[in-house]
Amino acid sequence: MNPPRLIADRIAVSFAGLRALSDVSLELVSGAVHGLIGPNGAGKTTLVNILTGFQAPTAGNYRLDGERLNGLPPHKVRRGGIARTFQGGRLFKDLTVLENLEVAGLGLGLDRGAAEVLAEEVLEWIGIADLADELAGSLPYTDERRVGIGRALVGRPAFILMDEPAAGMSVHEAEALGRLILRIAEERHCGVLVIEHNIGLVLDICSHITVLDSGEIIEAGDPETIRRSEAVRHAYMGTQADIVSDAAVL
Amino acid sequence: MLIVVPIDLFASGVTTRTFTEMFVQMVLVVGLYLFVGNSGVISFGHVGFMCIGAYATAWLTVPPMMKQFTIKGLPEILAQAQLPFLPSVLLAGLLAAAVAVPVGLVLMRLSGIAASIATFAFLAIVNNVYSNWDAWTAGTSSIVGIPTETNIWTSWLFASAAILVAYAYSVSRFGLALRSARDEPVAAAAAGIDMVFQRTIAFVGSAFLCGVAGALYAHFLGVVNPDAFFLSVTFTALAMLILGGMSSLSGAVTGVVFVTLLISLFRTLERGVSVGDASFSLPAGSQEIAIGIAMILVLIRRPAGLIGNREFKWTRSPAKAERRHKPAI
Repeated sequence: MNPPRLIADRIAVSFAGLRALSDVSLELVSGAVHGLIGPNGAGKTTLVNILTGFQAPTAGNYRLDGERLNGLPPHKVRRGGIARTFQGGRLFKDLTVLENLEVAGLGLGLDRGAAEVLAEEVLEWIGIADLADELAGSLPYTDERRVGIGRALVGRPAFILMDEPAAGMSVHEAEALGRLILRIAEERHCGVLVIEHNIGLVLDICSHITVLDSGEIIEAGDPETIRRSEAVRHAYMGTQADIVSDAAVL
Repeated sequence: MLIVVPIDLFASGVTTRTFTEMFVQMVLVVGLYLFVGNSGVISFGHVGFMCIGAYATAWLTVPPMMKQFTIKGLPEILAQAQLPFLPSVLLAGLLAAAVAVPVGLVLMRLSGIAASIATFAFLAIVNNVYSNWDAWTAGTSSIVGIPTETNIWTSWLFASAAILVAYAYSVSRFGLALRSARDEPVAAAAAGIDMVFQRTIAFVGSAFLCGVAGALYAHFLGVVNPDAFFLSVTFTALAMLILGGMSSLSGAVTGVVFVTLLISLFRTLERGVSVGDASFSLPAGSQEIAIGIAMILVLIRRPAGLIGNREFKWTRSPAKAERRHKPAI
């Protein structure tokens, strides 16, 4: 049996004539971690928004196991097996941690009892079962991120797209997050797409990396290829001063 | 029960009527809470469902003899109908809910202020239709002869049932899903929640309760006319909900009690009070001003309402208590 694949085929988006993405293609395979990097404004979040139904592409299509997903609303994309996390968490602040995960089970059509069982299983698996009854709005930053990831893991989606999961984390916290992401791919056989500015983390955990700049793919390949790429180095050095330190890893 | 028994036995007619009306209002406000509290969308339209329910029960319960003169255009089956109180009230609720299905499917696609304005438009449409639909509603004149079956006991029973229904909804999968979409619509969609569908369910459920409230009110007054279900009731109901705390059921109930007490206090003062030899009275209309001032004060001091978004709890739920005490593995 072939592992599931999520394929983006020549995706393009323009806002009022401004091209946010042009001819972007990539392929995610279950069980593998794929990195998506690039300077701010390169179109990374736009791509995730498209693949999860939040935004319609101007051209191109995207398929899960050969089935076209264009035009599906976000909640149907999630039920189809593609989950996402958000920059900044976006937890349901007035609900408990357990209820936050339970909602994802309800979204898949379960009743509360069954959803609670799934939610507890995921919390155990991540190792944050002790947070179950905390209000999500009162959590510290790193726990918030892990709950957001947990919510995306409920129901064993085939793919999970993470938008800057390590933003604002210390080196130590980012390493722990990296181990969690690898476990998601290996133990839950999930295909992961990670958008990150922490290039070191991406080079460590991804088997394949796509680099976007100004809406176009400027490089794609394994970490070694990216490390050596002149185009990538140029894109980072030439645009944003605050990423120069990250680029030093390259 | 603790309140009802002494009132029934000892209280004067006026007090009994005040409390009966309060319980009917409670059905309305709890119905309003079911939608507004869980979806976060303020609705100005639910009194329209109250109007639909009130007229439905008039069609079903006014003696056929009297219907011949006031509402001549009713089809034969309704013209001859004379149902008992309970089935009539429930059918009135069902009619309101049935109207809410198509209305909800259209309106629930809107968000925020646009949705609220559209619900207001719905109220205006209902009021206009019922004011001009002479054959069925006798236009703006009143339909009389509705059996006055709503007393302190029946209204109390319906208020308790409404609270139970709203509570059951809140803890159901539908209630939780809708509250998640209220807090973070984008994340809820990403979690697989169909917000339009969830909102429509709440809209229909709350329309049912508001329709029942309308029917109870009709059986309380014995008379219906379209303007009894328009702006003034809408704003009183919203004031009760917002004052008490619109995102909690306890808040909705507290708001009804608080505003009712405030209104009857000022009504008494308007009638005049004598202290010793002197007697004084407030000018008519002070109760409206008092509610306005109370609302401003509460919203300044406690923007989320008197109760906020907490609920009264008797005990901690056993499942949660057990989990808390489970040793960490």
